[in-house]
Parts: sequence; structure tokens; C-alpha cells
Amino acid sequence: MSTPEARLEARARRAYERGRLRSAVVRALPLVPLVALATVGCPERLEVMLCGAALLATAIGLLWRGQDYGAGVGPGVAAGLLPLLLPVVTRVTGHLCTTGSCYVLPVVCALGGLAGGVLLGVLAPAPRAGRRVAFVVACVVAALTGAVGCLLYGLVGLVVMGAGLAAGATPLLAARRA
Amino acid sequence: MERGTDPRLQALMTRLAAGDRSALHPVFELLWPVLRRFAGRHLPPAEAEDAAQEAVVKIFMQAAGFDTSRSAVAWTLGITGYEIRTARRRRRRRREEPADAAALGARPDPASDPEAAALARDLESTLATALGALRPEDAETLRLYARGARPAIAAATFRKRVERALARLRTAWRTTDEHS
Repeated sequence: MSTPEARLEARARRAYERGRLRSAVVRALPLVPLVALATVGCPERLEVMLCGAALLATAIGLLWRGQDYGAGVGPGVAAGLLPLLLPVVTRVTGHLCTTGSCYVLPVVCALGGLAGGVLLGVLAPAPRAGRRVAFVVACVVAALTGAVGCLLYGLVGLVVMGAGLAAGATPLLAARRA
Repeated sequence: MERGTDPRLQALMTRLAAGDRSALHPVFELLWPVLRRFAGRHLPPAEAEDAAQEAVVKIFMQAAGFDTSRSAVAWTLGITGYEIRTARRRRRRRREEPADAAALGARPDPASDPEAAALARDLESTLATALGALRPEDAETLRLYARGARPAIAAATFRKRVERALARLRTAWRTTDEHS
């Protein structure tokens, strides 16, 4: 290949990566209002925003990388929306409980996680041979998205939400694999 | 595009849109000669090369958003077609620039040829009539443009005013010419 053509191909390659990054940012942008929504009336605003930034960076990185890595982002975000939004709705409607039994076992995170898990079991690419990456990505993104909403309840909230996700997704995934 | 290029390009563009970097080189090798030839049919060689290069860069820039249900050939040629139109527009704009003073100076002196002098007088009279039919602001804009001067406004605004004034002058010229 002649030098001008090699230079043009290198320019095209850089343009391709720039285009992918721009497309990834545009596709990940709807997460910003969701994270902003999660901070409404939240006393742990900084932690939630940091978790949201991590989610945004992860989603952009995975979408930019594409292929199986990008394919898991959509189902992951969809599954994580319920554990993200349920605590927000609970808080906004005046049912915030930061003390007592509710704080010890945050039911909203458990319920949100369970519902999100069912969604994950339906939407996530089945972890068959060669498609494990997309499945793992969907699980990680779902957990990160849900964490933005359940972070308010601390480590207990995150663990309960994770357990809910697993409990909801496992039977469906097992059925799909069979 | 050559026979067989179509399904191969479609498959490669689908892979590229999904993020498969290994499809980049084959897509480039497949597209570059075709786009260069396509641009070469519509533009002079130097401009064709530039337009084809811009098209290739834009195609790769937008590859992530390529809708795989659409024809890859039509999509790539559409982008190249747009670049060709842009190059043509650029060339037309360059031609209309007032820096053509040298070209104006190269015109033969009408005084040396009575027929040319009569034609020049006739043209000047028609132009004066057409200019007189314009709004004073348009006439002033064209006078400034002809002198290569520009009022204290943004270049883009002045260019827009010149374009509008020229369009009105053309209309007025046609009307004057029809009546004379």
C-alpha cells in the first residue's frame, strides 16, 4: 500500500474511533437525567453522583468497544431501572425510612432487584458458549444501575438488591438454557 | 460498484457498525478505489481526490451509526455524493469571489473595437437600469462587492447580502432585458 493510502487509512481509523465514541456518548446520555433523578431528596448526593459517574463511564466504554461488550449494555440498563427508580419513588412519595427495620432490610431494593432480575432473565443474552461476555456485561450494568438508586441504603441496600437481581434472573436464565 | 461488492460490503459494514475493528481494513480496501472513481467521474482530478478522501473519513466516522437494514452501497455513495456537491459548491463560490480583478483586467479594451464598444455601452446601460431598479441597500452592497470592499459587518452576513442582491439583480436584469 502506498504511503498516502496508508495515511488515509490511519485517518479513517481515527475517525472511526471518534465516531464510535461520539455515538457511545449520545447513547449513554439518557442515563444522566436518571442519575440526576436519583439524587432528588437524597442525603447521600455525592456518593450517588459518584456511582452514577461510574455507571456512565462504564456504559460509554462498553458501547465504544462494541460487539458483545456493547450488546449487554441495553438489557443491563433496562433491568437496573427498577431497583434505581423504586427507591426514588419511595423517597419522593414520603416513605423514606433511614432508621428502623426498613433501613436494616430495605424492601424497595429487594423488590426492585427481584423485578429487575426477572427483566434481566428475559432480556439478557443467554450465557451460552461464545456469548458469555454480553451476559456478564448485562449483569454488571444492571447491578451498577440499580446501585445508583439503592446506594442510599448503604451496603445492605446493595447486597439486598444484588440478591434480588440474582433471584429474579436465575430461574429464567436456567429455563432459557435448558 | 463491481458485481459481488454489494453483499460483501453489506456484511463488512454490518460488522464495522457492531464494533468489529477487523473489518476496517477490508472496508477501506473495498471502498477507496470505488469512491475515488465515482468522485473522478463528477469532478476534476485534484478535487475528486479531496472529495473522495473526505467521503472515506466521513463514512468511517459515521460507521458506528450505520443502519444495517439499509443498503451499504447506497449509504456510502450518498455520503460521497454529498461531498461531491460540497466540492462543486465550493468551486462555484470561489468563481464568484471578487478577487477576479485580474481576470477583469485581462478583458480586451472596448475602445479598440467599435462593435465591442457599442456592446459594452449597451451592457453598461442595461446594468445601470437593472441596478437602478434595485433597492438602494442592494445597489450599495453590489458596489462595495465590485470594489472588493466590505462594510463593518461579519463576512458571512456580507456574503449573504451579496448573494441576495445578486439574485435580485439577475431578476431585474432579466426584466430590463425583456423590455429593451
